[in-house]
Parts: sequence; C-alpha cells; structure tokens
Amino acid sequence: MNPILKTIDLHKIYSKGNMEVRALQGVTFDIQRGEFVSIVGRSGSGKSTLLNLIGGLDTATSGNIHIHDRELTQMKRLDLALHRRKTVGMIFQSFNLIPSRTALENVTLAMAFGGVRRKERKPMAGEILERLGLKDRIDHKPGELSGGEAQRVAIARALANKPQILLADEPTGNLDSKTSAEIIDLLHMLNRKQTVTVLMVTHDEVSAATVSHRIFRLLDGKIIDEKIVGSLS
Amino acid sequence: MRLDDKLQLGLANLWRTKLRTVLTTLGVMIGIGALVSMVSFGTGMQKNITQTFKENDLFTSMQVTPRKIDFEQAMAGNVESIVESLQEDTPPLNEGALKTIGDIRGVELAFPEIRFPVKIKFGEYETQTTLRALPLGMGHYKPYNNLDYGQFFPSDTASSVIIHPRILRELKIILTSDKEEQKLSIEDSLRGVRTLSADAIMGKPIEIITSVVDFNAIMKNPMRQLRAGTNTPTREASTTLTIIGIQKEGSAFDGGTRFDPGIVVPMQTVNRIPRLGFSSIWSLLNTSGSTDTYASVTVRVKSITETDSVQAKIERMGFGVFSIADQLEELKTGFIIFDTALGAVGAIALIVAALGIINTMVMSILERTREIGVMKAIGGSENEIKTIFFIEAGSIGLIGGIFGLGLGWVVTLIANVVANYIVARQGVPHVDFFYIPIWLILGALAFSILVSLLAGLYPAIRAARVDPVKALRHD
Repeated sequence: MNPILKTIDLHKIYSKGNMEVRALQGVTFDIQRGEFVSIVGRSGSGKSTLLNLIGGLDTATSGNIHIHDRELTQMKRLDLALHRRKTVGMIFQSFNLIPSRTALENVTLAMAFGGVRRKERKPMAGEILERLGLKDRIDHKPGELSGGEAQRVAIARALANKPQILLADEPTGNLDSKTSAEIIDLLHMLNRKQTVTVLMVTHDEVSAATVSHRIFRLLDGKIIDEKIVGSLS
Repeated sequence: MRLDDKLQLGLANLWRTKLRTVLTTLGVMIGIGALVSMVSFGTGMQKNITQTFKENDLFTSMQVTPRKIDFEQAMAGNVESIVESLQEDTPPLNEGALKTIGDIRGVELAFPEIRFPVKIKFGEYETQTTLRALPLGMGHYKPYNNLDYGQFFPSDTASSVIIHPRILRELKIILTSDKEEQKLSIEDSLRGVRTLSADAIMGKPIEIITSVVDFNAIMKNPMRQLRAGTNTPTREASTTLTIIGIQKEGSAFDGGTRFDPGIVVPMQTVNRIPRLGFSSIWSLLNTSGSTDTYASVTVRVKSITETDSVQAKIERMGFGVFSIADQLEELKTGFIIFDTALGAVGAIALIVAALGIINTMVMSILERTREIGVMKAIGGSENEIKTIFFIEAGSIGLIGGIFGLGLGWVVTLIANVVANYIVARQGVPHVDFFYIPIWLILGALAFSILVSLLAGLYPAIRAARVDPVKALRHD
C-alpha cells in the first residue's frame, strides 16, 4: 500500500543571526492513509519544524516530502498555497483564530479560500461546528470562547476543505487536562470515523499513546525511536 | 477565492479601523479636491475664451492685408525681414481685389475694415471709444443678429448707431429692465450715475466727435505748427446719428478692451463722418500711397470647414491672411500647458495623501501580521493577499476621489461667488471662472485610484511576503 505521506532524509537548517541551527538532520518516515501518528520530544527537538515543512508553511533545506506522489520540496509558492488549502488542515497550540471574526466566519473564510460556493459555506460550516459540539457558539468571537471551544473551532476550520491530513501542532498545549482529553478524543474520533490521517506533535506522550497507531520520538532533529501502539485494522 | 470575497475582506478590514480609514480618505479627498478645483479653473478659462470666439463667429472670420506680415519676425524684432517684405511688389488691395475675394466660393461677406477712435456725446456725458463700420450683411452674424434692444441697420446709408452696453456704463447710465426698478448705490449716485430704461435711449440722438486736420490753421501760420508743445493743427467735427440698437452684454472676455468697437455704424454712413487720413491701425502698414486701396479687408466664410480653402486662395492672390482658426491650435497647446501646471500643484496634495495611504497600510500590516499568517496557513495565496490589500488601498482612493470631486465642486462654487463679487465692483458681468468637464471628473477618479493603488503596491507586496512560520509563532 502506498503511503499517503513519505519523507526522505529531510534536513532543515536555520540561520539565527550568525548561528546555524540544525532543526532537522535527516528525518525519514512514512505514514499510511488513516493512520494516527504522534511525534513526541523535548522543546527544540525539531517537532514543529517538521510539521511546518509537511504543512507547506516552510521549505526544507534538503530531502524530499512526498504527499500522494507529489513532491512538496519542489513546489512553487502558489502550489504550496494550494497544498495548504486542499491537502492539509493545520491546528496550533495558540488556536490562531482571527479575533475579529465569529466562529462561523473563521470557518467560512477557509472555505472562501478553498473555493466553496458562497451560499454553501454557511450551512457547511454550521454543520461542521455543530458536529464538534459548538452549536451554541457559532456566532461567538474567539475572545468569548473557552480554550477548548476555540480549539474545536480551529479544528472545524482545519476540516473546512476536507483535507486528507490533519496536522496538529501541540493542540493541547494551552489547555487544562480535562479539556485536553476532550480534544484528543475528538481527534481520535475524527481519525476513526472520518478516516482523516492525523499527524500530531505533542508533549503529552501518555494521552498520545491512547489514540495513536505509532509514536515517533524526535531528538536533535532525528527520529531516535518509533513505538508501535496499535495498528490499522 | 473569488473577487467578491476579497472585496468583502478588504472592506471589512477598512471598516474595522474606521477612524484611521476616514483620516486617510480625508487626505485623498483634499488632494483630489485641490486637483479638481485647480484644473477646473484652467478649463473654465479655456471654455470662456473659445466660447467667446464662437459666439462672435471668430472662427469663420479672417483678416486680409495687402501683404503677408510675418508676425513672428516682427515680435522677434527682425526689422530687416519686415523691410524686405515691404519692398516686395504686391498686388493692390483695392475695389477690384475686394470683388474677386467676394466671389471666392465659400465667402459670404468681404468688406474693408474701417475703425477709428471717436469721442461720443450723449446728453451731457461723453466718453471715448472705437467706431467700426459694418455692411448690412453683418446683421446675420453674431453678435449683431441678437441684439438686446432694437434692430440692425435698415440700410448701408442709415444714420443709425448700435451701441455696446459697456459704453452706456462709461456714459454713467445703468440700464433698467422693464420688470424691476434698479436701486442705485449711494456711491453710484454721488458719481452721477443715472438709471434709464432702454426706451429712453432708443431713437435718441448721439453725437460722434472726430478729429480732422485743420487745413485753415496750417495755412494761417505753417511755421508755428512745427514748434513743439503747441496745439496740433486739428479741430473737432461733430456728426449726429440715432441709436437704433443696444448690443447684448457678452461675457467678460467679450469686448473687454477699450480698443474694441463701442459703437457700430453702417458701411456708407461712415463716409459722412470726417476723420484723419488713416482709418485704422492697418493703414499705418499701407505704404503704397494710393488712396483707393484698403488697409485691411474682413472676410466671413460660410462655415468653419471652408476657412482653410478660402485662406489658401486669398494667399495665392498675394495677400496676407490672418485668421483666429490659425491661432487656435497654438492656443490649445498653451492651455494644455496651463492646465498641466495647475494640475501639478493639485497633484502635490495628492502625493502627500498617497504617503498617508502607505503609512496607514504599513501600520495595518504590522498589526495584522498574525492574521495574514493565518490566511496563508489556511490556503491564502500571495496573489490573493496582495489583492485584498490592493482593494483596501483602491477603496480609499475611490471613496476619497468621489468625496474629493464633491469638495472640489463646492470650492469652485464658493470661489466663483467670491471672484464674481470682486469683479462685479469693476463693472464686469457675471463669469463662470470654473468648469468641470466630464473628462476631468473621470480623470480625477482614475488618477485617485491609480495613485492609491501605487501607494498600496509596497504594502501589498510586503503583506504577501509575510512568513507564516514567524507570524504564527506563539509568543
């Protein structure tokens, strides 16, 4: 079976002033369709950098990223935008919702970029938000939402254009343990019921272990350990 | 993402920072207002002058002189070339030539130009002006086909005069309309100004006083006349004619100078008025010495389209031709330069406004870096983000432009009232100093949007290049 995502010897080197930061030093792995993979590791181990490269927000110094047999590292900027729009959906530790827009508008904005027709956007966005348990929060602005609600809106936005891969960068980093569990459960549910492939970066190895098929451990830009927790049935 | 989505996003962004948007738009508005009011002054002047030309049928009129005078050479002070041209053998501009010119196809009217300075006396007041003789045919032409009161001459020999209202003012007469009694200001009353109705003037006698050479005086004591400082050997002669018409008060650009004819008499009647040997300024150039030649002949053609061919034919006869139509192209170029200079002053204000737009947009991008990062993360392309910012800048330009047009219009209205108030005290009739043609409206709007888009260029590129990784990094 062809992996949905495959990275080969991925390197990323930043220059921070005069210093050279080697964020990734040869990362190679692949992920099957429908898998839930977590990446754990200390701060500065290169987890977020890896996610940004796969998300098309940043470009690799060397190496390859194949998604659906398309080569991400050779893409032009416009193709990268299309990749972010259609193929992946991203969620962040700090939610990154647009504060001046309501929950619904945050989701419809993503649909506008995705080319969803104007009159279909609101019902579609409303349906997604409702499914994520935000029926009463549709017209609230991010400032009026709790952390858990805000992250669920962010997930709804990430799902707006029906991506194949959901990239989650420390999605529970700003949440208390109870809400964290809810978000992890939600991702788990999406993975099992909607067969969305999930790649999650997290500190919380314990809860990751309850939902992931595999867990990669990253240290100094290299995968030092791969733990198989469950398997795709 | 469709254009209407971008439009909505851009406008929503402007709406969110209302005060800043309003202030920036005000800048553009003032810039466009300045531009429009400045340029409309130039176009107003142009309109007034060309309209006066048209009203007086000057485009179908030309002046024929015995020989071609190179005005450019004369202006440059090139005496030699003028003397040379005077020495050339040229055909006489006499009765025969006048008839030949009159027979050219397209020529409606050809008559010798006779005008000379006179003193006129009406009642107890007198003033000085220029008298001009016109043939009966001129009654079909502006402005003589549309007199304020009375009729054009019944014949070429009638003892009639048509008078310009400017002369009436100089004679301290204010015409009253039939409907309302005009109140005199105290100032006017003290100066001895009277109000008279047109009926009180029409059909009344007017005295034309001219200077003639007093041969008797010369004969009596020829030597005395040569001494400096003594009286010239002239005496005054008086001819009495009847006022049969009053011309319309034209625009301020019409007959504004004292050299323009204040009174007009029929072509044959003028022979009854005794005068000095030369009849007009053109006579000074008449060096042939013969008495039966004309210094200058006025030609009227049927339509503007025939001006060129008629002019060429007369020039082939060996005469010089001067026509306003010739000068029009040069005049137009002059006005383009004038308008451009005025526009440049207005454009400075717009450039300042453009800097305001750049400032506002850059500020806005700094504040919205994270938002731009989010838009990129959810799939916004560089072009889409660029377009959103262009729409913001362009909207400021469009709205500022529309309100600027309004501002310019109001400014010209006020300036026109003030300017007319000032010139009215000098007896100049109402003038519209400003004119806003449709091309100025559309041009100002287009220019406003263009300048705004140019101002938005750098901010838009900067917004498109926001690095999403940096923008989304959690603080």
